[in-house]
Amino acid sequence: MEMESFSSLTVTERDQILVEQQVFNIFKTFYNIPPSSQSFMLELQRENHVEYLTNGLKQLGPSFCVLDANRPWICYWILHSIALMDEFVDPELEDNTIDFLSRCQDPNGGYGGGPGQMPHLATTMLQSIHLEKLYSFIRQMKYASGGFRMHDAGEIDVRACYTAISVASLLNILDDELVQNVGNYILSCQTYEGGISGEPGSEAHGGYTFCGLATMILINEVKRLDLSSLIDWVVFRQGVEGGFQGRTNKLVDGCYSFWQGGIFALLKRLNSTRGEKSIPLGDGEDSGPDSSETTASSDATGKGLIEDLSQGGSHIEKGDQHDTSSRVNSKRHAKVKPLFNSLALQQYILLCSQDLNGGLRDKPGKSRDHYHTCYCLSGLSVCQRSWLEDDDSPPLPCAVLGPYSNLLEPIHPLYNVVLDRYREAHEFFTGS
Amino acid sequence: MHGRPRKASKPEDEAASTTKAQKLRALQTQFFSFHHSKIYTKEAVELSAKLLEINPESYTAWNYRKLAVEHYLSQPDCNPETVKSVLDDELRVVESALRQNFKSYGAWHHRKWVLSKGHSSVDLELRLLDKFQKADSRNFHAWNYRRFVAELMNRSEKDELKYTEDMIYTNFSNYSAWHNRSVLLSSLLEKKAEGFLSKENLLPEEYEFIHQAIFTDPDDQSGWFYHLWLLDQTVTTDHPLLVSTWPAHGSDVFLVGDRCQNGSFSPFTTVLSDSGSFPIVLYFNQPVKGVSSSTVIIECGFNKNEELLWEPLSVSNSQTAQVWVAHLKCPTSELDSSVEISVGYSKEIVSPRGSQYSHPSTFSFKVHVQPVERDSSRVSVAENILWREENFKVYRAQSEESIPIPSFDQLCIKNGHESTASNWRTEALAKEVECFRELLSLMDCKIGKLTLARLLMAYDVMSFPFANKLVHSEEVLELYNDLMKLDPTHHRYYKDEHSLVLLRKMTSSEESLLQHCFQYKDSVSSAIGNPICLRLNNLSLSRIRAFERLLWVQMLDLSHNELESIEGLEAMQLLYGLSLGNNKLRSLTALEPLRKLKSLRVLDISYNRIGDHSIDTTRYLCSSPLSHSVGSELNDVALINYWEAFYMFKDLNLNQLDIVGNTIADEKFKSVLVKIMPLLKRLDGELLD
Repeated sequence: MEMESFSSLTVTERDQILVEQQVFNIFKTFYNIPPSSQSFMLELQRENHVEYLTNGLKQLGPSFCVLDANRPWICYWILHSIALMDEFVDPELEDNTIDFLSRCQDPNGGYGGGPGQMPHLATTMLQSIHLEKLYSFIRQMKYASGGFRMHDAGEIDVRACYTAISVASLLNILDDELVQNVGNYILSCQTYEGGISGEPGSEAHGGYTFCGLATMILINEVKRLDLSSLIDWVVFRQGVEGGFQGRTNKLVDGCYSFWQGGIFALLKRLNSTRGEKSIPLGDGEDSGPDSSETTASSDATGKGLIEDLSQGGSHIEKGDQHDTSSRVNSKRHAKVKPLFNSLALQQYILLCSQDLNGGLRDKPGKSRDHYHTCYCLSGLSVCQRSWLEDDDSPPLPCAVLGPYSNLLEPIHPLYNVVLDRYREAHEFFTGS
Repeated sequence: MHGRPRKASKPEDEAASTTKAQKLRALQTQFFSFHHSKIYTKEAVELSAKLLEINPESYTAWNYRKLAVEHYLSQPDCNPETVKSVLDDELRVVESALRQNFKSYGAWHHRKWVLSKGHSSVDLELRLLDKFQKADSRNFHAWNYRRFVAELMNRSEKDELKYTEDMIYTNFSNYSAWHNRSVLLSSLLEKKAEGFLSKENLLPEEYEFIHQAIFTDPDDQSGWFYHLWLLDQTVTTDHPLLVSTWPAHGSDVFLVGDRCQNGSFSPFTTVLSDSGSFPIVLYFNQPVKGVSSSTVIIECGFNKNEELLWEPLSVSNSQTAQVWVAHLKCPTSELDSSVEISVGYSKEIVSPRGSQYSHPSTFSFKVHVQPVERDSSRVSVAENILWREENFKVYRAQSEESIPIPSFDQLCIKNGHESTASNWRTEALAKEVECFRELLSLMDCKIGKLTLARLLMAYDVMSFPFANKLVHSEEVLELYNDLMKLDPTHHRYYKDEHSLVLLRKMTSSEESLLQHCFQYKDSVSSAIGNPICLRLNNLSLSRIRAFERLLWVQMLDLSHNELESIEGLEAMQLLYGLSLGNNKLRSLTALEPLRKLKSLRVLDISYNRIGDHSIDTTRYLCSSPLSHSVGSELNDVALINYWEAFYMFKDLNLNQLDIVGNTIADEKFKSVLVKIMPLLKRLDGELLD
């Protein structure tokens, strides 16, 4: 191997130092001001964010041309962000949006744009969704290797697997055929670092790791992943700035607050003892022998987790009816330490990612946009509840950085949809 | 848009971009009308190009172009020249789209599609890629496309390796390049390409290369991650190996029907066999599948016609495990019999990565039976192990006794190449050790210390079978102590590593193990004999491992440590008594490994933290409770809230349990336990009816 010498400071390192300086200056300012001003700096500027988002829904500036093919995504980013802040959109505007989205469904069943926007609006779009056609569309996108194509003749990757599987599971149309080989494909994308890459051979990446892990949970094959190395990888993606990087030795970026932070939310649920649903209730409502052993079949697919989240501990209520209080289950407000530094991440989101005039961003010096607004806020919601097992109870004040009014609505971490909206959709599509 | 800076707009810019938006709108309307009427005239196709130039994300337009290409290629007057010009047009459109946005999924994919047609020159692609990769060296679309092109043009992986080198010299922080290097090297090694026949020649060169980066700037993380990969490549043998067994090779096993009978035999190899069978344990260096009666051949005078059922010892119930167990029926006669077990002469034992077990090995041992009728009710009532200091007497070994720990070379490895093949590994590690000592003499560096600790441990473990001593364990322990102080945020990780090294050290030789062996003797317990207890208490252990050295242990005291998990304990199939008192166990499910211990009768989990928290974050590494299958026996409504207890204890055959000092252990819970375990004789020291 020939010897050349390395220059002492690489571009990457210079960029990293610049970002650190910017971030640390913000933190320094913050720590040197009186507590009352500190509290203001940490406040989530709800009104400004809502205004910025609502304007986006009405009309986007002309500079958004490049996003034209992603219009449903923009709708999702905006509406989800608004829902996280528990705000509502003016009904006329909402109708217009729904009307627009329903026009995106192609006669062949798929939706133009990503399918991820659907869960959010599912309840109001019911009449317009043609489930059978949607199923056959997803089925056609399936590829022999186990992967999915993003669209007809489109690219195959982990993102596509996630969108296909998550939509199918949400609409309750997931079956063996869709699931077949998906697990193998995702496994082939887990790298030696522990994270998951977009396609085999590529580098581990936060967005894909989230998509891959969520997919594996949905198809009930999560144990096939090397979870300990995955955890190892993701914990080391949180940097000195408090925020997350997307890949090894890249710069911090606010949007990974959700992609990486959401991984922790998933991992936490995975190990919650309350995920257990296969216990016969002994009062005639026996859940039957089906759920515990089936892997990836149409009706048992990951339901333990999903129902756990959607029903908020129904078997505990059942138990209560029989007047059997339990020490194991009654401690529902237990404080459990998350595997990442949740307060540091909140500090990064609020102080560095927040544009005080509304909207959130990648990092200081970048401009706000709807994508980053959506995923920074989603990440913030995950953080605020990272100490809790139960999404139905409010988090402790010490878990929420800044004023308690910063508290956002809880999300369903598998779909990144506000939990209440998820439940409405879930009820509709399962017919319960 | 993601990750790309936008400038604040001025009024005149805004006016300009409004015009642009209007133009786009008009273009789009026209485009969709062409698309829906399947019009592929030159004019129509050019219009789609204009649209894509403004908006590369318009995947409908990319698909329209694919349809158009297919349309042209299917024309009767289509000749090679038109094919080429049609496809070249596509490449041009993609290129200008990428200039607009080189993170466009649609554009990169369209290019792949065009090239897959096989009519375009691939050579230009690398030049184009060089340009893009220079502009954004971590663009994963470009790296993916590069791998695609290299494969398509059959470019040698060595040339690609050279490319990663160039990229690394430009910016050694570029982890994408290091990553691709690891992918390429793995592939070359797997193919045994020329010059890449073995790691032996390759890895030292890679170490040289990485040192340049690390020594230039130890603060950059990319090099360290690659170094960790190299270390992993150095220490992992591709093929699974058998590292330990019970019974050990050459040992004498005494099977007794009653513990008080054992006076005359070595307490280390005397096993109670009241169930009529005894376990055989195979311990591999990595998880394997395919252990069965066809891959493990057993020859013995008794038990002729019965096929052994091999069970993987893994908590996740998968068919892959590092440790496997089978139960062999005791010989009925009192004659001494010998047993010979051959592992891996057929090829079905494989690692999850697909590497075959390729070092067939044979071990043998003798079985002596001492069947005794015993009055089981009398004995069971009297049994009561008290984990008190005064009940443990220092054990003085009889001169001829030895602890049956198999050492690696006892396993009659038929293939003798392994020891010489490992030389280069040891040498490579020794060189690394030297190198990092030098680095640390120049500067104080956390990751350098951690790496040195890992290297020293790897070195010791690798040379262990020959040296039978862990030369550097003191130094490694010191390094972890240092790191705990230097880097408090990762304190628990270092603490865990420290525990594991300590355990390795204590179990590394018979001499050091004997220091922890005690004879249990209390005033009334003649019924249980005077078993040997391995006491690893009061060592502030936060994790445990090294089970391959402890397969013989029947009584284990792990009390007064800081354990939160007992992962791996399932390997200790002979365990009869276990104390986990005064640890930090936080949930019943953390005890899951115990469910695999069929001989366990006495368990102390007093003074832990079970019930303090409703979930246990330390259990991330264990199996998901989603997989728990609780049987339908659970009819009692009162038990539903205690399903965890039910799940944990229903299959254990405990006589004695201590659970006092846990939040969970109130009277109600204890009454549930009694219900779950009808065989339980003592709970928290109290005799049950």
